[in-house]
Amino acid sequence: MRYRVRNKEGETVNNNVAVKKKGGVKGFFKKVYKYRAFLLMLLPAVVYTLIFAYYPMTGIVLAFKKYTYAGGIWGSAWNGLNNFKFFFQSGQAGLVTRNTVLYNVAFIIINTVTQIAVAILLTEIHNKHYRKVTQSIMFLPYFISWVIVGVMAFNIFSSDYGFMNRLIVALGGEKITFYTKPEAWPFILVFFNLWKGVGYGSVMYLAAIMGIDTSIYEAAAIDGANVFQRIFKVTIPMIMPTTIILFLLSVGGIFKGNFDMFYNLVGNNGLLYNYTDVIDTLTFRALITNNDFGMSAAIGLFQSVLCFITVVLVNKLVGKYDRDYTLF
Amino acid sequence: MKKNMKKAAALTLSAVMAAGLLTGCGSSDSGASAAKDTSAKDTTANSGAAQSGSENAGGIDLSEHVDLTMYLLGDRTADFDEVYGEINKLLEEKLNCSINVEFLSWGEHDTKYSLLFSGGEDFDLIFTASSWGHYEQTVALGGFYELTEDFIKTYAPEIWETVPELAWSQAKIDGKIYMVPNYQNEFGQDVVAVRGDLMEEYGIKQITNWDELIAFYKACAEHGMYASQGGPWYQYFQSQGLTTTGGAPKSGELVLYNTQDPSDLSFTYLLDWEGFTDYCKQMKELADMGCWSPDVLNANDERQTGLLTGRTAGMIWNLGSCTTYAKQANAENPDWNVTLVDPVSSQPKKVNSYINNGVAINVNSKNPERAMMVLNELYTNPTINDMTRFGIEGKHWEAVGDDQFKVIDESNFGVDSNCNWGWMNETIKRTEFIENRTALDDTHDAMLDAWNNNVKGEHPYDGFNFDSTNVTTQMAAVDAAMTSYYEPLVNGLVDDVDATLEQFRAAMESAGIRDILAEMESQAAAYVAK
Repeated sequence: MRYRVRNKEGETVNNNVAVKKKGGVKGFFKKVYKYRAFLLMLLPAVVYTLIFAYYPMTGIVLAFKKYTYAGGIWGSAWNGLNNFKFFFQSGQAGLVTRNTVLYNVAFIIINTVTQIAVAILLTEIHNKHYRKVTQSIMFLPYFISWVIVGVMAFNIFSSDYGFMNRLIVALGGEKITFYTKPEAWPFILVFFNLWKGVGYGSVMYLAAIMGIDTSIYEAAAIDGANVFQRIFKVTIPMIMPTTIILFLLSVGGIFKGNFDMFYNLVGNNGLLYNYTDVIDTLTFRALITNNDFGMSAAIGLFQSVLCFITVVLVNKLVGKYDRDYTLF
Repeated sequence: MKKNMKKAAALTLSAVMAAGLLTGCGSSDSGASAAKDTSAKDTTANSGAAQSGSENAGGIDLSEHVDLTMYLLGDRTADFDEVYGEINKLLEEKLNCSINVEFLSWGEHDTKYSLLFSGGEDFDLIFTASSWGHYEQTVALGGFYELTEDFIKTYAPEIWETVPELAWSQAKIDGKIYMVPNYQNEFGQDVVAVRGDLMEEYGIKQITNWDELIAFYKACAEHGMYASQGGPWYQYFQSQGLTTTGGAPKSGELVLYNTQDPSDLSFTYLLDWEGFTDYCKQMKELADMGCWSPDVLNANDERQTGLLTGRTAGMIWNLGSCTTYAKQANAENPDWNVTLVDPVSSQPKKVNSYINNGVAINVNSKNPERAMMVLNELYTNPTINDMTRFGIEGKHWEAVGDDQFKVIDESNFGVDSNCNWGWMNETIKRTEFIENRTALDDTHDAMLDAWNNNVKGEHPYDGFNFDSTNVTTQMAAVDAAMTSYYEPLVNGLVDDVDATLEQFRAAMESAGIRDILAEMESQAAAYVAK
């Protein structure tokens, strides 16, 4: 086994700790016995992962089968790549894949930046009560389901009774029919996603900031650093590892559209699809009437494979910058 | 300090991981343990036929008590369990069994219906219906027990006598029957419930055809009133004698046929038909005038909301629902004078396909025979049939003569609102006795009489149901691509009708609509030949 550890100077050192091969199998059991306490502690996690992450993965075969109730997952006939066909044949594959990725990129960038900013601002607030109240209020939208958010959005943007249009008319403007204006929707979607996620997301960064050794700030203060220098020279570099790990985790879902959000905000409004249709909503529409499990499994597999490739690539790129920041 | 930081990073990370795992659990493992044991339960009823004395007239062994489960659609009403408790008493006595009823609510049945089968749920009877009630899809995936003629005659002889030949042939898929269709003459055509006071105000005397309907829409817009909750698409093609084709994409709307002319065996694909272009252009004009809200595609309002809240001047729905809500609107606003109009009055009326409601047996049912016998009771035993329709006599309703009923208390059970539509039986169906008749009741009865006297002739395609198993890929692709264009066009909400139609056409071609049409032609030819 190869471990990377940092020595006292903070340089990366590679240690080859591979235990010398001592009598093959025998040595293995010896080691098992030696580390039995650790292995026992590890066991629940391994079992959990096997049951909930690896066992369901066998369902992937469904993507290549013509599913029937009688045959079940294993007994149904093989179907080759036919289950993937409808997606590309619909003529929307390119559009929805592009939309999915672009939305996710926008979400990742905007959410990360805002969440970090909010976390830093919160730590800079010294009035404890004010800080707690602010944080709770920002956290609250996270608990509101997308169904409710969809209704709220309709009441804000509807042209007959919507809050926005009432406001615009009251100010002497002309009504805007948001539900026939696709261009407006990227902004609306990004806004709602941010509004809903910022409080929750900033908790991670808050924890990271809390973990920074206060002696660094003291040293910085003695050296005469002002607030901005403290933020940009100390806080942000120190939470970089957390940021990158969270970033990599979100990149892992870059080909997956948040169905709840898109479906509840956009619904069946075809007028907006050029700007709002994502892989998941397209699949939903295609299969809601004929309930083909094979086809939905195929699209799930398609998304997962693309996500997997992206994560590996991005992880590699991050590794080029600094090996310590990689996920694996 | 580095250590501290690493610790913090590790902590946050583990928190994230935990959260990830937890949410990961929720992701669907679609149909993990599928129904496998289709074999093991052939004949429980026929074994040991001559055991004890509890046999019914047909000589079928009923000695073993069984509990059956039935799935219905909708929501459980307050008195539902009480009513079915009474029904169970009768079933215990007669068939030595009881039924337990589960509901799939309106919101969830689209997604959960198939999960009942893929998840291996243990149940016996289930409501089904062509297209909207998942009949064809479930048959395609092998979810229903095949009902052979012998099986029906043995276990449900009265059903076999009641249900007309045409209904059975409509239920056939690939020559086999998988559901018991309901038997009632439901008219498949919608009418418009419309505000009488506004018609008078706008100077509209009558609405009996398309032009008068459009004139009414325009008059509404001119007076700053919405006419309805979207474009009157069905009224347009129905006024030209066309109707939807069973099993075709988008509930049959993408491919129409001329139901008024039995000799016309051609299908009309919307995008090859200039009528659709004409309609879309008219709708664009109406939508731009403000005949309905520009938000119709997103408004999740129920169909009656517009009329009842006074936001629209009319509501398009079937005759029964229009009457119900017109009454409600009149009761709440006596000056509205809501009445019923038929904008396609010139056309003879089409009776809904009998498989628009029905009941099927789960292929994995342990007691299909007993299930069929229960269905026979629900369908043909007047006492039980009445109970499922109206509730308990004396509490919810009372009989008026042999063929009428009067409502006592509709609040906790309702009339025909407990998914009893699968065993509607024209031969024993009671009609409502109305004491204080209003002008609306007269209009309703006059309209129904006119329709009953003007039922259209049988068209070969009326019982035809397209089976999409061979073109599932194309169907899915068409469904996926369609919504971007179809609803906006039908409701006149696009900027440029011709350009959108062109895109729509191209999208359908690449999705494989021609394969679907070709398959449909060949199936239809085979169907007509039979």
